[in-house]
Amino acid sequence: MTFQAKLALRYMQGRKLRTTLTLIAVMFGVMIVFGFNGILPAMEQALQTNLSAAVEKVDLTITSESRGAFDASAVTLVRETPGVALASPSLVRPLLVPTAQAVTAADGTAITSFILRGVQPEQLAELNPVSLADGRLLTDADDHSVLISNNLAQQTGLGVGDTLVLPASTGLLTLEIVGITVGQPPMGSEELIAPLAAAQTVFNLPGQINTIEAKFAPGSDAQTVQQAVLARLGSGYKAGGNEAGSEFATAMETGRLVLSLFGIIAAAMGGFIIFITFRTVVIERRRDIGMLRAIGASRQTILGMILTESLVLGILGTALGLLLGALLAYGLLVGMQPIMENMMHARIGGPSFAPWMFVLAIGMGLGITLLAGLAPALAATRVQPLDALRPSLAEVERRAAGRSAIAGIIIVALAFLTLIAGNVGLAALGIVLFMIGLALIGPALIYPIARLFGRLLSLIFAREGQIAQGNLTRQPGRAAITASAITIGLALLVAMGGLITSLIGGMDGWIAKTLGSDYLFMPQSLVLGGGNIGAGPQLVEQVKTTPGVSQVATLRQTTAKIDGSDLQIVGIDPVTYPQVSGLIFAAGDEAAVYQDMANGRSIVVNGIFAAQSGVKTGDTLSLQTPEGVQAYQVAGIGGDFMNYKIATGYISQANLAQDFHETADLLIMVNQQPGADAAQVDGALRALSRDYPAFSFYSLAEWKTEIGKSLAVFNAMYVLLIVLAIPSLIALINTLAINVLERTREIGTLRAVGATRRQIRRMITAESLLLAATGTVFGLLAGLWLGYILVGAMNLVGLVFPFSYSYAGLLLAIAVGLGFGVIGALIPARQAAQLDIVRALAYE
Amino acid sequence: MSIIKTEQLTKVYGKGATAVTALNGLNIEIQPGEFVAVMGPSGCGKSTLLHLVGGLDKPSNGRVLLDGQDIFRLNDDELTQLRRRQIGLVFQFFNLIPVLEAAENVALPLILDGVKQNDARQKAEAWLARIGLSDRLTHRPDQLSGGQQQRVAIARALVAEPSLILADEPTGNLDSRSADDIALLLRQISEEWNRTVLMVTHDPRIAAHANRIIFLKDGTVVDETRLSSNGHQEEMMVRQKLEVAR
Repeated sequence: MTFQAKLALRYMQGRKLRTTLTLIAVMFGVMIVFGFNGILPAMEQALQTNLSAAVEKVDLTITSESRGAFDASAVTLVRETPGVALASPSLVRPLLVPTAQAVTAADGTAITSFILRGVQPEQLAELNPVSLADGRLLTDADDHSVLISNNLAQQTGLGVGDTLVLPASTGLLTLEIVGITVGQPPMGSEELIAPLAAAQTVFNLPGQINTIEAKFAPGSDAQTVQQAVLARLGSGYKAGGNEAGSEFATAMETGRLVLSLFGIIAAAMGGFIIFITFRTVVIERRRDIGMLRAIGASRQTILGMILTESLVLGILGTALGLLLGALLAYGLLVGMQPIMENMMHARIGGPSFAPWMFVLAIGMGLGITLLAGLAPALAATRVQPLDALRPSLAEVERRAAGRSAIAGIIIVALAFLTLIAGNVGLAALGIVLFMIGLALIGPALIYPIARLFGRLLSLIFAREGQIAQGNLTRQPGRAAITASAITIGLALLVAMGGLITSLIGGMDGWIAKTLGSDYLFMPQSLVLGGGNIGAGPQLVEQVKTTPGVSQVATLRQTTAKIDGSDLQIVGIDPVTYPQVSGLIFAAGDEAAVYQDMANGRSIVVNGIFAAQSGVKTGDTLSLQTPEGVQAYQVAGIGGDFMNYKIATGYISQANLAQDFHETADLLIMVNQQPGADAAQVDGALRALSRDYPAFSFYSLAEWKTEIGKSLAVFNAMYVLLIVLAIPSLIALINTLAINVLERTREIGTLRAVGATRRQIRRMITAESLLLAATGTVFGLLAGLWLGYILVGAMNLVGLVFPFSYSYAGLLLAIAVGLGFGVIGALIPARQAAQLDIVRALAYE
Repeated sequence: MSIIKTEQLTKVYGKGATAVTALNGLNIEIQPGEFVAVMGPSGCGKSTLLHLVGGLDKPSNGRVLLDGQDIFRLNDDELTQLRRRQIGLVFQFFNLIPVLEAAENVALPLILDGVKQNDARQKAEAWLARIGLSDRLTHRPDQLSGGQQQRVAIARALVAEPSLILADEPTGNLDSRSADDIALLLRQISEEWNRTVLMVTHDPRIAAHANRIIFLKDGTVVDETRLSSNGHQEEMMVRQKLEVAR
């Protein structure tokens, strides 16, 4: 072991509490980054499972470029292509079953997520034969029969002769199980194989398919045949199965960014704590370092000594962080499962850690530790040999903080300018600039703030408060750094609290505007394209003719391709939709937009898509549809609550039917006539909804209650906030403990001249409270600014909602800040009070 | 040739009205193997002299020649190497690394000079044995008495075999018995091990162990006394001279 490593380990052993606190800081940052990134693949996998259809192993699978359905006649073109021996059409889609129709497994789990595969039985038998464990294969004569997997049969006890009831566009469809297939379920969802016609009924896609599977004639060249098939079909088709939509990519990417942001903030906090620790380590070991310099240690040796210590801490903290990160990921996924189940009917697997995550977490853990240790280490190299010979006295900072404060003010002003520029990257830079600016202004503000709070404090701590105040104001730089531990923690709390409050407030506004009808027929999943079963035209007709109903509007959904990426397309009726609901616009005149949509191929894109692709009003988008490429003009930028997080374009339902062949209603909004008997309308609609179990029926009040429960998920973010605030508490304890160490002799003197243990304890507590109060003031300022920037950044990426903050939240933040002051002082105050006077006086 | 020679050595702290002259054109010479004590009232410049001779501080004017070499012509790295190899420093507060054992503390200068840890340890243990601490090799500073800590510090100063030992109030933090032991050890270093010792002290009883005492006042030499032996008589004489210097 090298001299530096030995010395580092010995120093760490010698200060166990500090080492532990610093280790926790490093560990925490790594844990958050590693753990959070570890859960994302599982969530993506869950979404994919939820959205994807299975693809069998055949020579060629043909699907639509747009992932939508197309006319079944296309299979004829494939069959007629030279080299194709067999071609079979199918309609394969995820299917969510309402809980009432769910199949219950032996362990009590409700199985609600399936993949329904509609096939032409005899063609399938030739093309891709299914092995049976029991029963028989489907025949062309079957119309209400289904094959289920051996796995599902074993789980549920279902067998040949039993029935499955599926939601369908016409209400319910009862299928008889005629056979049990052998094999694993694809993508984690159970596959049901039914006649094509039955699947078309379920999905309201008469005459439509979305997959053609083909086998080539023996001896034919696969590549040539594939090209010939695609050429014959014309544009709009591709070789390969339907994959999960990249319309979710932006939402997932945003999620990844937000979680990474949490991790980076936590890591930065860790780095900050390490910086404070080593800064104080250098002060504390000034004499040791001076002595080493005096007896011949070079500056490089001193630099290496401090950096080795930070590296050792970094290695240990990173290793522990990786371990705890993995545990955090497991814990979070277990905790999130019920939420994913309720909102998306998706099951989440275990966490997954790609090699890059290890590289990121290790690089960050070690990198931040070394970086944070570098400045104090460089400061250590500047310690003069003479420092070993001088008596150590707590110095009084006499340097005017004026220049720093002016620089700080300029930097804060620059930070404000970054927001005006309207660029997310610049806004993020603005956050960093703002924190740096605040750190520079801090020392100049310590004196007035300490005086202000000192007066208040003297009401509680009459004598000790005055000494505490003096301790702070004589070293404003150190006080500002210690207070900044609270500042950063609290800034995060306030900012994230503001963001969440704004988000929830914004969502309330979105819900009120876009889902604020008197009654709602909601699909199973809040993600429109997430396996929901739509209704055929008869349901809306029945709703419209219900006595007391005035207006009805619906949402329909499909997917288009644009420049190789997926874009969710939502169909609205430009006439009825604004009467019942309405999009929230960021650009474009509302009335004119609906008019344009009614008149031709106009599209409204939502903010997330506009931000992602840089699309503006007036641009033309070339959408790949089952009818080939169609040009849609962007009439406006806006969105609705259901689809704000998914890249979405809104077109008229007429165009959706014409270009995408999609006519199923996935969500129905109903208004009642003024003066109508609400109970009667409610009763009639509720009765009607029973025939369509794919929908959940809500009155406005019920819907608000229901969505309120879903939004309560965001409360979990507050828990995350508390977790994020922990490092600042650690930092405060750490720095206060170090301050006590530094002033050991001074405290000994106070005890020698008559201060009681209680008075010492109260002095440290008063000091901590003063620091906490100072940190709280800065924290509130920084937090509000940071929250404003975060909301601004969200707006820039298309999630448009106004910034708001609750006064209760601010009061809570103040309470947390001061609470931290008291908690942070507990250990150091006890340490100080228990100091032995003689030893303290001799302490060097 | 003298081992230490100062020429017009001047050190002024601060500027303008607040300037304080600690050394004022000081000229002294010390021969190899001498044990020299520097005495004088507080603020006379004795510690400053030690710092300048050790290359720990830079003079405002004048030179310090160590073995004929002007040490302030050396850059920081060369000066560091000089301290590591040619000068041993003993401090009032011992300045041992609290987390290292006695032998590890002693080995420090050798390790800093790139000597293998095992070799450094062996030499450190040998020096600790020579000063009577062979039974305290693995003790940490807080497990040693003040006198023992200062002995460890002296062993550390000697381990690199330097020709010059600079001791700044080496007994200032010790009881009188331990102080005597340390003073005797310093004399032994000079007489038996042929090292030059330059010691700053307030204590006439300790200074009486030296071969020569230089009395400083206001940054200049006001008196100089050669001592033939130590004992009560010498101590009394030192006390008288010290009073005069004050």
